Amino acid sequence: MITSHSQPAKPTNDDPRVMRQRALTVVLVIGLLFGAVTLASSMSSWRLPDNQQGYSPQQPIDYSHRLHAGELGIDCKFCHSGASTSRHAGIPSTSVCMKCHKVVTRAKDAPEDGPAVSDELQKLFKSVDEGEAIPWVRVHKLPDFVYFSHQAHVTAGVSCQKCHGPVETMQRIHQQETLSMGWCINCHREATEKGINGRAVHASTNCSVCHY
Amino acid sequence: MNNEANNTKDATAGLPGSVVGNSAGLNRRRFLEAAGFSISLVALGGCGRTPVETALPLVDHPEGLIPGNTLTYASTCSGCTAACGLLVQARDGRPLKMEGDPAHPLSRGGLCAVGQALPLGLYDDHRLKGPLHNGDPASWDKIDGNIKKQLRAIADSGGAVRFVTPTITSPTLQATIEALFDHYQFADARHVVFDVESCSAILDAHEQTHGARVLPHYKFYEDPAEPDGEPIAARVIVSFGADFLGTWISPVEFTAAWRKLRSPTAEHPVMSYHVQLEGRMSLAGSNADKRYRLLPDEYGIVLSHLAERLAESENKKSPPGHIAESSIPAAELKDLVDHLSNRLLDVQPGQSLVLCDSQNVADQLLVNFINNLLGNYETTVDVKRPSRQRQGSDADVLKLIEELKAGNVAALFVAGTDLTHNLPGREALVAAIGKVPLVVSFAERQDDFASLAHFVCPDHHPLESWLDAEPVDGVISLSQPTVKPLRDTRSILESLARWSERDESAYEILKTTWREKIFFPRAQQQSFRKFWNQAVHDGLVMVPPAKEISVDPFNSEAVRLADERPPQDGLSLVLYSKIGMTDSRHAHNPWLQELPDPVTKITWDNYVCISPALAEEEGLEDGDVVSVAAAGISVELPVLIQPGQHDRVLALALHYGVRGTDRYFHIGRQWLESRPTVAEGELVGKNVAGFVEPRDGALQYHRSGVTLKKTGRRHDLATTQIYQSLEVPKHIAPRGAEVRDQIQSTTLAAFAKDPLHAGASAHHLPDEQLWPEDHPKDGHAWGMIIDMNACTGCSACLIACQSENNVAVVGKDEVRRQREMHWIRLDRYYSGEGDDVEVQYQPMMCQHCDNAPCETVCPVLATVHSDEGLNEQIYNRCVGTRYCANNCPYKVRRFNWFNNTEWFDYELNGEQDSAEDSSLISLALNPDVTVRSRGVMEKCSMCVQRIEQARIQAGGRGAPIVDGAIQTACQQTCPAQAIVFGDMNDPDSAIHAELANPRRYGVLEEFNFRPTVTYLRVVKNTDERTPGHEAKGGRHE
Repeated sequence: MITSHSQPAKPTNDDPRVMRQRALTVVLVIGLLFGAVTLASSMSSWRLPDNQQGYSPQQPIDYSHRLHAGELGIDCKFCHSGASTSRHAGIPSTSVCMKCHKVVTRAKDAPEDGPAVSDELQKLFKSVDEGEAIPWVRVHKLPDFVYFSHQAHVTAGVSCQKCHGPVETMQRIHQQETLSMGWCINCHREATEKGINGRAVHASTNCSVCHY
Repeated sequence: MNNEANNTKDATAGLPGSVVGNSAGLNRRRFLEAAGFSISLVALGGCGRTPVETALPLVDHPEGLIPGNTLTYASTCSGCTAACGLLVQARDGRPLKMEGDPAHPLSRGGLCAVGQALPLGLYDDHRLKGPLHNGDPASWDKIDGNIKKQLRAIADSGGAVRFVTPTITSPTLQATIEALFDHYQFADARHVVFDVESCSAILDAHEQTHGARVLPHYKFYEDPAEPDGEPIAARVIVSFGADFLGTWISPVEFTAAWRKLRSPTAEHPVMSYHVQLEGRMSLAGSNADKRYRLLPDEYGIVLSHLAERLAESENKKSPPGHIAESSIPAAELKDLVDHLSNRLLDVQPGQSLVLCDSQNVADQLLVNFINNLLGNYETTVDVKRPSRQRQGSDADVLKLIEELKAGNVAALFVAGTDLTHNLPGREALVAAIGKVPLVVSFAERQDDFASLAHFVCPDHHPLESWLDAEPVDGVISLSQPTVKPLRDTRSILESLARWSERDESAYEILKTTWREKIFFPRAQQQSFRKFWNQAVHDGLVMVPPAKEISVDPFNSEAVRLADERPPQDGLSLVLYSKIGMTDSRHAHNPWLQELPDPVTKITWDNYVCISPALAEEEGLEDGDVVSVAAAGISVELPVLIQPGQHDRVLALALHYGVRGTDRYFHIGRQWLESRPTVAEGELVGKNVAGFVEPRDGALQYHRSGVTLKKTGRRHDLATTQIYQSLEVPKHIAPRGAEVRDQIQSTTLAAFAKDPLHAGASAHHLPDEQLWPEDHPKDGHAWGMIIDMNACTGCSACLIACQSENNVAVVGKDEVRRQREMHWIRLDRYYSGEGDDVEVQYQPMMCQHCDNAPCETVCPVLATVHSDEGLNEQIYNRCVGTRYCANNCPYKVRRFNWFNNTEWFDYELNGEQDSAEDSSLISLALNPDVTVRSRGVMEKCSMCVQRIEQARIQAGGRGAPIVDGAIQTACQQTCPAQAIVFGDMNDPDSAIHAELANPRRYGVLEEFNFRPTVTYLRVVKNTDERTPGHEAKGGRHE
C-alpha cells in the first residue's frame, strides 16, 4: 500500500497499536473470504442486477406444464385467458382448474390401490373449500418502470414460447430468457425487419412504447 | 502492514489538532479503505436475486372480469348538487379515474376539478371505519335499536323532528326521508334544505313573480330541436356577480353551453357578448368581454336603472319607486346603463340572459323583471322545466336555528353537510344543539357537527353506493357502486329504511322508487326490466317532467326599484368559494388543497383579497396578516393583492379552517430547512362562515361595515406563479416589444376584418431548418391545439392530469419553493392599464417541440424524440442533472426533489392502525403510469399510456386508430372542450381541420422550437359592435 518506508522506528509486537492493526487485518481478511464464498454462486454466472434468467422457484403446488401443456396439449390460453385481451396473461383462478379437476382427481401415474385424490390436488381442493387463493410464486417479472402488454404481443402473433421458452417441456417453470431491454429491442428490430409469421408488423423502438 | 500503519501514524502525529493521528489503528485513510471495501461488498451482494413475489389469482372468477382491463361504469358525480354525468374507470375492482359522460345532456362530457378529485376521497384513511355512538364505535344493530326506540318515543310524545340536508336532487332519497316521516307519523316533522351557497333569493323571487318557488334552468345555449331550427342562445350575457363559470349552481353545464358562442371563425365571425359586474375578481368575471367593478350592495341600484331604461325603451311600465343614490358618479352610471341597455336591446327578444348572485330578494325581483322584459322566460330562463340544483330555503334554516335555541327540537338529523361549520354563530348553535335529545349525523368523517352528534351513521362514499339524481326536471341519472365498501359504512337509504322497519338494500329501495315514481307515471315503455337495465347501462334516462309546473303569468306587483341607499361606512365583505373548495368536505382532499386558485394562483390557504389601491392606502403587501372585523366577529388572515377588485371590497373564501385538516402537518416535512404545511395542531386556513349574515330572510354572503386592521405579522402564501403581467417592465423592455406575445389577442371587429393577421405576433418566424430531415413523422404525428377563447381557467384539466398521471402532492412549503409537480400550469396573465385589468389564462404544459432544447442537453439521453412527434421522458434513464429543465423555454419540467409519492402516503395519514391502512391511498394510483422517485425529471407525456393503449386495441382488431379513440385526460374532462388532440397526419381528424385555423399560433415560435402544442388566439368581443349584431333585421345563423 502507499506509504513511505523511510521511517526508522521499529514497533514491537506488544505495542497495543500494532495489535489493533492486526485485528483489523484479520477482520478484513475474514470479510473478504466470507464475501467471496457468499458471492461465489452469483459470480460463477455473472449477470446484470435484476437479471433473473434461470429462476425456477418451488411452487406451492407441484404443477407440471409438461403434463398439461405438453402431454395433454391444452392450449396456453385455455388457462391464461387474459393473454389476448389484457396486459396480464393472468394466472388461472382456482375455479378454472376445477373445470377439469372436478372430474380428474387421481395422479396420472398413481398405482391402482393408491389414494383417489393426489396429494397435490388436495391442496387445490383445500383452496376451493377455504376460499383461499393459491400463493403462486411469480417467475417472469419486469421492473415497475416497464409497461408490457401480453395483448399487444399475442395479437401480433408472437408465440408464447418466444419469451417463455419451451414451457410444454418444463416440469417446473423457469425463466428461459434474460428479459433484458437489449433482448426486447433485438426482437422488436427483427420483427419489423422480417415480420411475424409472414405478416408485416411495425414493432416500434420508441422509448415510450414501454416506458411511461 | 505493521510498518505501514506505524508510518501513517508517525506521518500524522505531528500535525496540530490531528485527532485521527492519535486514535492509533483506525485512522481516516484506514477507515475509508475499510468503508470502501464494505460498500463494494454490499453492492456486489445486491447483484443477487430480487425478492420473491407471489401472485394471487382469484379463487372464483366472475364472468367478464379480465384482470388488468378497465371497466367503465356510467354514474353521477357527487361533488356538488349539479350532478354531472360520470364515467367511472375501474381497474381490478377499484375506481381510479373519473371521466365526463359525453352522453349527458347537461355536462356534455365535461367534469370539473372537484369531480376529478373524487377517487382520492374514497381512499382517504380518515373516513370513519364504522358507526359511532357518543364518539365510540358501536354496532349497527345496537344503533338501529336505539334510534328506533327514541324515534318511537318522540312520535308518541309529539316532539319535533328536523332533517337537514343540502339540496337533494335524488328522488329516491327524498322519498325515503318522507317515508321515514310517514312511518312514525310524527306530529311535527320537517325537511330543512340548507345550501352552503344558497340561491334562496332567486327561488323566493320566482315565488313572487311566477307563483312557483323554482330555480330557473338557465340556458346559455341549447341546440335546436329540429335540424334547421333556431337554437336557444344567450347572445348577450349580463351577470351581476354570478360566477357561473366557476362555482355558481352548475358551472360545468354553464361552461359547456357558454363556450358554444365563444369561438368565432373566419367564415362566421360571431360571438356572444359577456358583461360581468362584480366586486371581487371571479372566474366568470375574468373571462368576460367587459367587466365593471361594482359593490355588491349597489347591484340593486344598477338593476333599477337598467330596468327603468329598458321599460322606457320598450314602452312598458317601469317598476314603482324612486331610485336611491349610489356611490357611482352620475355620468359613469349613465354610461354603464346606456351600454348595458344598448347591448341587451341589440339582440332579438329572448337572446339575452341577465344573472345575479345576490341573496337580496328585491335585487332578484328586478332581475326577473328585466329577463321578462327581454323575453328571456321563453328561451334562456326556463321555469317550466326548472333546475333542482339549488332548493335551499334560508327562511327554513333561520327558523330551525330559532327552534334549536328555544329547545323545541326533539330529533335532529343532518346528512351531507357540516351544519355547525357552515353557519354563523357557531358557539350559540353548538349550545343549542346540546339541548336536542337525539342528534344523528350521516357524515363520512368526524366533522364539526358529527363530533356533537349522539349517533354517527356514516354514509358510503358515493363511489360505493347506489343513488340517483334529477338535476333538471326530466333528466334523471343513476349513481352506482364501483367498489365494495372499504369500511363498515351503510348507505343513508338503508339506514333510513331500517329505521322505518324496511329490510331492503339500497339497490332494492332505488329500484322500487324508480318503478313506482319514475317508470309507471313517466316513462313511455313496456317493460320495467328493459327500462331499468338500459338506465343502469347509460347511467341516465330522459323522461317527461314529473308534473307540468304551473307558472303564473309574470306578476310585476312585487318588483320595486331600489330606493334604499346602501350603507356607505366601512368596507364591503364578499364571501365566495374557491374553485375546488366548494364544500368543507373537500378540505380533506390534498389534490384540491394544492390546486392553485385560477385567479390568485395561491394553494393551501384562504386569504383576504384586496385591491391594489386599498393595499397602498393601508400600507399592505402580499402575506401581511390583517384582522378583518364586523359586528363583533373577527378573523386574522393574510392579505393578497388582487388587481381588478373593487377598492372597497374584501373577498374571503369559505370552506377553510375545517376540522381535521391539521392532518396536513405531515405533508412535506422532509428535510432540514422545510416547514410543515400547517403548524402543528393548526388547520388549513380559517373558517369565515361567521361572517355569513342572516338578513332579509336569507343568508347573505356579503355584508358592509367591515373594518380592516394590520397586525404586523406575516404569513407566507404559497403561489405557483410569481410573475403576473404580460407587459415587460418599461425599464428593461427592448424598444417596440413591451408586450410578451405568448398570449396573442385581438378584438372581434379586427378579427372579422383580417382573421389571419389580427393580433398576430410581429416577430419574424424563421423558416430555415437546421435539421430538415430530423423527425420526418411519416406515421402518426400527435399534436394538440388549445382554444384560448374557450378556456376559462377552471383547472379541471390540472386535476384530471394529476389523477391520470400519478402526479404527486408536495405540500405548501415545497410549492413556496416553486417545486410543485403539476404537469399543467394554468398561467394567468393580467394586462391593461390601472385597476381595470384584463385576465387571460393559458394552460401550459410540455409543448413537445420538434426542435426541443431539452433533448440536446441531456447527457444520458433520458429525454428523446419519438418518431410520432412526442418528446419522451424516460424515468429509468434519468439521472437528475436538471439540465433539461434549465434549458426548457416554457418551464414545464418538474423535478422530484423527494420521494413525493411514497412519503405522501405515510405522512398524510400519520400514525396507522395497521399496515393495510397505510397503503390505502396508493390504491388511487394509475397502474399504467410509473410512480416517479427522487432525482427524476418528469413532465407532460401527452398521455402516452392512452396512445399506446389505443394502439394495442386497434392492433388487435387490425384496424387503424380512429380519430377520437385517444383522448388525453385534460381534453376529456375540459368542460369547455377547449382542447383538441389527435393525429395531424390523418386528413379526417379534427386536429387536421384545426391546423388551418387562422387564429392558430405557437408560443415563442419565433425561436424555432417548433412546438407541437399550439394555441388559438384570443378574440374579445369589445369596443365595436360585432358583425353578428347586424342580424337584427333577419339574418339567422
